[in-house]
Amino acid sequence: MSELLQFFIAGLKNGAIYALLALGFTIVYASTGAINFAQGEFFMLGGMLGVWFSSLGLPLPVAVVAAIVATAAIGAAFELLAVRPLGAGDPLRVIMVTIGGSVILRQLALHLFGPDELPLPPFTEGASIKVLGAAIERQTVWIWALTLLAVLGLAFLYRKTAFGKAMRATSLQRDAARLVGVDTGRMVTYSFALAAALGALAGLAVTPLTQTVFDVGAGISVKGFAAAILGGLGNPVAAVAGGIVLGLLESMTAGYLNPLYKDAVALVVLLIVLFVKPSGIFGGGRREKV
Amino acid sequence: MNRLLRFVPAAVLTIVVAVLPLVVADRFLLKVFTFVGLNALTAVGLALLFGYAGQVSLGHAAFVGIGAYACAFCTTKLELPWLAGFAIAALLSALGGLLLSLPSLRLKGHYLAMASLGFGELMSVAFVEGSPVTGGVNGLGGIPFPAIGAFEIREPATLYWLVWGVVGLAALIAFNITSLRPGRAMRSLHGSELGAQACGVDVTGVKVRSFVLSAAFAGMSGALYASFVGFISPSVFTLSVSVNLLAMAVVGGTGSLIGPILSAAALTLLQYIDALIPGLARETAQVVQSFQADIYGLAIVLVVLFAPGGLAGLWRRRGGERP
Repeated sequence: MSELLQFFIAGLKNGAIYALLALGFTIVYASTGAINFAQGEFFMLGGMLGVWFSSLGLPLPVAVVAAIVATAAIGAAFELLAVRPLGAGDPLRVIMVTIGGSVILRQLALHLFGPDELPLPPFTEGASIKVLGAAIERQTVWIWALTLLAVLGLAFLYRKTAFGKAMRATSLQRDAARLVGVDTGRMVTYSFALAAALGALAGLAVTPLTQTVFDVGAGISVKGFAAAILGGLGNPVAAVAGGIVLGLLESMTAGYLNPLYKDAVALVVLLIVLFVKPSGIFGGGRREKV
Repeated sequence: MNRLLRFVPAAVLTIVVAVLPLVVADRFLLKVFTFVGLNALTAVGLALLFGYAGQVSLGHAAFVGIGAYACAFCTTKLELPWLAGFAIAALLSALGGLLLSLPSLRLKGHYLAMASLGFGELMSVAFVEGSPVTGGVNGLGGIPFPAIGAFEIREPATLYWLVWGVVGLAALIAFNITSLRPGRAMRSLHGSELGAQACGVDVTGVKVRSFVLSAAFAGMSGALYASFVGFISPSVFTLSVSVNLLAMAVVGGTGSLIGPILSAAALTLLQYIDALIPGLARETAQVVQSFQADIYGLAIVLVVLFAPGGLAGLWRRRGGERP
């Protein structure tokens, strides 16, 4: 029983991270119609910059906030430099640019921070919390709290603020949004910044447990994307649910079958969902019409 | 006359490639040009996939790896004849391509790119963990040279001709596909998938077939690589290799086979720049080598931003012909 609980906790922990990444995919997909292959690099940059800022002597909370802000700025700059010049055209070109951009970001991190795994101290020191025979690391509680905060913050942003309504309008009908005075180009920039910030938050939250290195981005991208597809691409609530389901599936597979199969779960889930129900488990039956 | 002129670049390229071993005596340089051929083989497949069918793969290093391990396993552990190992390598890679592309390509959008990225990451774990077959991190050694019947191909020049002969065959197959009805079907996907569908093009079928063929070419390249080098290890079939291969297709350009072959040559030779330019300072060569991945990434971004048709597109524009 405590074993199952332990797997459940591990699943929820990873699931929260995947949820943050899936949100990033969903936000950019909603505003551009394209998959952002640099999403995983934002995750990597968050952790790397956090380590770097804290090595400069900044207190950990300041370093964490600075890393999120810096990654968001990089996300916005990335959009302005590489995605904006393409205009609202072919999603294939947006995808290609984000693929090339992800390579550049990965290499920049390699040149600046080196090829080694880098650690970050946990946000609060202390022993694990014991619940019904299972242990929860303090950092895991931080991951849950920060994910919850990010999701609630996003919900507030999207539902209650004029900015969020402009973002939603852009994703629903780009031309109609422009007609009512929304600067849709700027909304795309903001969506990249927001996605980058979410990715950075995920990277920062998990680095104290796993350490980070310049090439973690690609692997985590696949998992975040599988989570987003599992829920239904373009739907933020479903993205979070997809992340948690994927995290649980992974930890149960690792726990009861073989830890080696853990990394295969995301790909298998991705392929099965694409084959059986591409709109995701929470997606409606909306069909594309001519 | 005009029709014949179109074949001039291909004819010149064929002749240059064919006579190169007669001119180049240096054994190392011949090996380098053989590596160029191995990448060109994969690039021909990716040219079909990206340049004609408009699909992105971030996992082709995995298909190269499947081909390499399949051929190595068949020839060393099972002691099958080389040609059988080569055929099994191509078939296994094609099968992998089919399994991956069938679910991912039924839909609009570029899910295949992400699925192939995941496939590549998974296979690079599998190459390490499947040590009974793959030899794990230590890799597989003692892979025999290619042999056709009793005739073993081990001289650098003959190996070079074998590899480039396969490239030529692959290019011929690809050319036939692109210049006939399936090619027009592929190109129609670039304009409008919906329009193509309305004209009776089996959109999914075209995409799946081009992906499977490109996976098979990659597998053949891997099988040749394994037999040519004699040793393989998981570090050769990573994501960065997939990105390099994609860069070759993107820089080479859309709607062309010669463009990607030339860019495969240029981008492959970049790593051996010190062998090609004798007077080059060692430091310069090292800088180029350590920034190689950066150059590939930047090349993809710049081409997509400023010359979406790639080299082939620039060439067409120069000739005044609309793509």
